[in-house]
Amino acid sequence: MTTDHAPRLYALAGSILGLFLAWAGIAAHPWAQTASSATPTSAALEAYTRRLNADAALVAALSGRRLATPSVRVVTLPPLTTTRTS
Amino acid sequence: MIRHAFTAMGTEVELLFDAEDSSLLREVEAEFRRLETVLSRFRPDSELSRLNEAGAGEVGPDLLEAIELAVAARARSGGRFDPTVHDAVLAAGYDRSFELLEGAGPEAARPQARVGGMIEIDRPAGHVALEPGFRLDLGGIAKGWAADRALAVLANVGPALVNAGGDVAARGRMWTIAVEAGGGEVTLGLEEGGVATSGRDRRAWMRDGKARHHLIDPVTGLPAESDIVTVTVAAGSACEAEVLAKALFLAGDSRRAVDEADLAEIPTVLTTSTGEVLLAGGLQ
Repeated sequence: MTTDHAPRLYALAGSILGLFLAWAGIAAHPWAQTASSATPTSAALEAYTRRLNADAALVAALSGRRLATPSVRVVTLPPLTTTRTS
Repeated sequence: MIRHAFTAMGTEVELLFDAEDSSLLREVEAEFRRLETVLSRFRPDSELSRLNEAGAGEVGPDLLEAIELAVAARARSGGRFDPTVHDAVLAAGYDRSFELLEGAGPEAARPQARVGGMIEIDRPAGHVALEPGFRLDLGGIAKGWAADRALAVLANVGPALVNAGGDVAARGRMWTIAVEAGGGEVTLGLEEGGVATSGRDRRAWMRDGKARHHLIDPVTGLPAESDIVTVTVAAGSACEAEVLAKALFLAGDSRRAVDEADLAEIPTVLTTSTGEVLLAGGLQ
């Protein structure tokens, strides 16, 4: 009595092919590609980050200008000198 | 505290100094007189007068620095402060130092002059060239600049204040400075920086039956017309305060000047022609 090996060989070849396709699919990191694509959420996040950086630069500039502003206020003390049209 | 006063640059200069060593005061006085020989437009032998006469030439480091400051101030003020007002000031009748002007009789009117001439500066060569037809008047910046320089010398030793005819530079402690405003006084406490006043209450005269003053509107080339009588400004230095005070005076009217002072956070005391005193730029 002879055994028909053809179905087993087909099954083995199909299993190897399936395993290869699964490995190739996993090696391609499809989830990573999805995360780096410009979805509306990530675009909004990037814009928000840029705005925060711009605001930080503006605050730094304004702080610098405030530091350059003289320390002056109206007082009720007797004056030591007088300013007038020069 | 030592108080020392003298006359230079056509005005009274006052030095207040919290230290025992008074030798620096003589040094500062000599420096004021030297700067007058460089920057005065009333002295025909001054370095500035020689440049105005020639139209171009090499200049010394002091005149070069003063011209650079004036050009920078013109840019920062959007042209309201302009060192090329020389001929416009002359046309308005301010053709001699003010002490002589007050006693002078009527003169023939001069033609109206333009303002806004080009100034080319070659710093490495120390060379300045003026657009033909324009001359420089550094009177709007020279006293404040001189006060700042004098303060730098005095403040090395102790708290000091320099008042050059109303342009005040101070450092080292809180100095109290009276501002003549609306017939009364507002007193400012300044710890470090400068205070200056621009106005038409002084350095004013009559010409052809009309009241004239020395603050020229660069747009018209004529003494500025405004409801502002005086503007006093505090800034990081006397030179900067002098420029800002002129720029606010030339804002056109008191409301606009107050808005600009508030927006730019420039501590300002302003008197209007009705005697109203307005505080702006954070003062209250």
